[in-house]
Amino acid sequence: MKIDIHTHTRKCKSGDAPTREITPEDFCAVLTSTDVGIIAITNHNVFDLTQFERIEQLIAGDLQVWPGVELDVVDNDGSRGHLLIIVSPKLAKQFSTELLKLAANATPDEFTATIEEVLLAFDKLNPLYVAHYKKVPMVSESVLEMLESKTKNKNQVLKEVTNAISAGIYISHGHASIYGTDIHDWRKYKELSTGLPDLRLPVDSFEHFCLLLRKDPTTITTVLDRKTSEKIVLKPFPDDSALTITIYNDINVVFGPKGTGKSCLLKAIARHYSENGIDARVYESASDRLDELFDVKGRDLAINLNDYGINYCTNEIESLRNAVEVDVTSLSKYLNFFESKRTNKNAKRIKIKDIAPEEEGSRKRSFSETSAANQKVAEFLEFLYGSASVKNELSAEELSSVAQTLSNLLARLGRRKWEEFLGWKETVMLNSVIKIFRSEVARKTGMPELPTTTGFREYAINRIGIEMNSAEIIKGIDTEIPQQRDDVGSLGTSKGRLEYCTAFHFQNGSVSDSTLYSLSKVKKTPQKDFANYVRRIRNSTYSPELFQLIADLNEIEDVESIKTIQELLLFRRYFSLGGVSYSPSSGEASMVMLQKELGTERDVYILDEPERSLGNEYISDVIVPMIKDRARAGKIVFISTHDANIAVRTLPYNSIYRCHGGNGYSTYIGNPFTSDLVCLNDVDDRLDWRDISMKTLEGGKEAFGERGNIYGRS
Amino acid sequence: MSEEISMDVLKAVVLALDDKYIMEIRFGDFIASIPLSEDKPNEVKAAFNKLIVRLKGGPFQIELDDCGEDLFSQVSKEYLVQLNREIKEVYGEMKSNGLLNV
Repeated sequence: MKIDIHTHTRKCKSGDAPTREITPEDFCAVLTSTDVGIIAITNHNVFDLTQFERIEQLIAGDLQVWPGVELDVVDNDGSRGHLLIIVSPKLAKQFSTELLKLAANATPDEFTATIEEVLLAFDKLNPLYVAHYKKVPMVSESVLEMLESKTKNKNQVLKEVTNAISAGIYISHGHASIYGTDIHDWRKYKELSTGLPDLRLPVDSFEHFCLLLRKDPTTITTVLDRKTSEKIVLKPFPDDSALTITIYNDINVVFGPKGTGKSCLLKAIARHYSENGIDARVYESASDRLDELFDVKGRDLAINLNDYGINYCTNEIESLRNAVEVDVTSLSKYLNFFESKRTNKNAKRIKIKDIAPEEEGSRKRSFSETSAANQKVAEFLEFLYGSASVKNELSAEELSSVAQTLSNLLARLGRRKWEEFLGWKETVMLNSVIKIFRSEVARKTGMPELPTTTGFREYAINRIGIEMNSAEIIKGIDTEIPQQRDDVGSLGTSKGRLEYCTAFHFQNGSVSDSTLYSLSKVKKTPQKDFANYVRRIRNSTYSPELFQLIADLNEIEDVESIKTIQELLLFRRYFSLGGVSYSPSSGEASMVMLQKELGTERDVYILDEPERSLGNEYISDVIVPMIKDRARAGKIVFISTHDANIAVRTLPYNSIYRCHGGNGYSTYIGNPFTSDLVCLNDVDDRLDWRDISMKTLEGGKEAFGERGNIYGRS
Repeated sequence: MSEEISMDVLKAVVLALDDKYIMEIRFGDFIASIPLSEDKPNEVKAAFNKLIVRLKGGPFQIELDDCGEDLFSQVSKEYLVQLNREIKEVYGEMKSNGLLNV
């Protein structure tokens, strides 16, 4: 959730841009399209109570709108500075009255007030004062000093700077600073709002915000406790001493000088969760393991061909390899029959030649088709009666009508199926009787029987089967499988995003790419031979060399291992940047490994010095947002770090500080909100979180304060 | 029914070459030869292969030209009765498996 303490909804002064003017309706529409959760309306020297009340009515509690004003405050020397006065929405009417009284009919262009007048009018409303500081027109140091000394709520005086970098620097120097959009053109608000400060802790109201500003420990603890926390007991160190720490399902930072046992602590945390059945392991940067991590060699690579509509061709390959030639009927059988008939007196009396066998195939096909249709309709009817969705959609009358039509169809198909079954079986029996009859007559008369088939049918069906099987295999291996492209992560704003590509290709007989590996144990040469033989078989199905080719196919090395076309798959896995193959450097490897770790769904993330090999900019722009995102999702994140970017910018709910002093090793626990670090063994032993962070994390206090990147870039 | 009407008819003849008899089925530039007086299964298979390939272009039946009453004519007549029945059946199989050229 973001906060904007400085906005304008009205063109009040003559110098105000007309694009500052916005209707309550548009104001609400714009705000709801952003992540802003708290907004203060601070027009120049004017508070429009009617507009404020209309906005409150429209916004209906979806976000907090705080009433305020941006006043021209004058110093003794007559110089003007701008001071925002923001009050609780509960006091909007009172605030309006006080402002009207103070303005005393002066126009917004004419209006000025001294700090004494401001305090007299508003301090009783416990407002938030936000003074322009290093931002024109700036409130003078003398006015600011007077404000801080005379207000009853010193903690509620903030300094408004221009951006996040300035805020970070001034905060590090002890100035409570903040910034808002000071919007000039509402059409740009959505874009500008992305740079507003994030509220790390939930803020319920204006009053709650003021309590948090005071760093009131009770208020902060109450807020922190809204997150799930648990106490865990660890024995991370060789002396077996127990360490009880409270951890949050948010960011838990472990920091401190080198050699103070931070890594041991992380390992103990991982052990604790693993023993409780939660997948937890310590992530350590190891750029040399990138290929292993991404399984570039494809040891665990698998693919389901059905996902791509590709037939594995198990039956086709088996049938093709086992195919044998079918013999045709010898012509001499016909000759023998007719020669014998001429010489045999009985032959003339036997009318066997008049009985011709009938075709069985078409009758069988008709029966099969009708039978399949019958079954489908029966299944659909059953589905219709059983489906709650159908019953919800159709009235009882409509359902009955549809069911009646389908029942009639089912009955007709049932009758047809039976008739076709009878017809088919009649033919089968007739042909069988003819065959037996011929055989018996031949046996009793001594006359050779007339063959019932030339053998053409069986011969053709066999070859057709071979053609179909080989064609199906070729169809499969000629299929192109779309390349899988997975986003690995960003290599920074200048380089772009790294992708991890997995390309699959079937060895179709013409692939000769040395960068491709076989997905199975079958070597590449037998794969290629197999594909080529199947292709030749398909092209020679109706030629005399067909069975020689099948025999050759069966002679291929390891052919027994090719049971499906999956054994003909080749693959290549590689990284790609901008569509071109790319080898990440060791630093880039660290980047993507960390992103992969944070991108993997876990309940607990344990990162040991994730900043190793990474640049500040990258940590700021990519890693910190990812860590925050995991925390927002309610994950427990432990980070051992020496990097202020991570330890400070993530504003951890929990900071665990390890150090070594005269009394040996010590552990302190605290957070940036109270700015306290409390020793686990002595609650009176306290350190300042900010001071310790600055001292411990990447250099001294000065460097910490001056480095803009710690706080974000404008 | 329309398929019956448009069905091609291929002509077959029985030829005597010296003491050997063959049945030749002619279509386009092709000739499928079936030896009648000798058992030559490979030649019969070669003829069948041609008929299967031809069948992909559409159904047909084979008719015997100048049919006499000699032994080889009788054999050819009976052989073609059976062959035509089987051709029809194989055509049906090819059609249902999508193996036709059209």
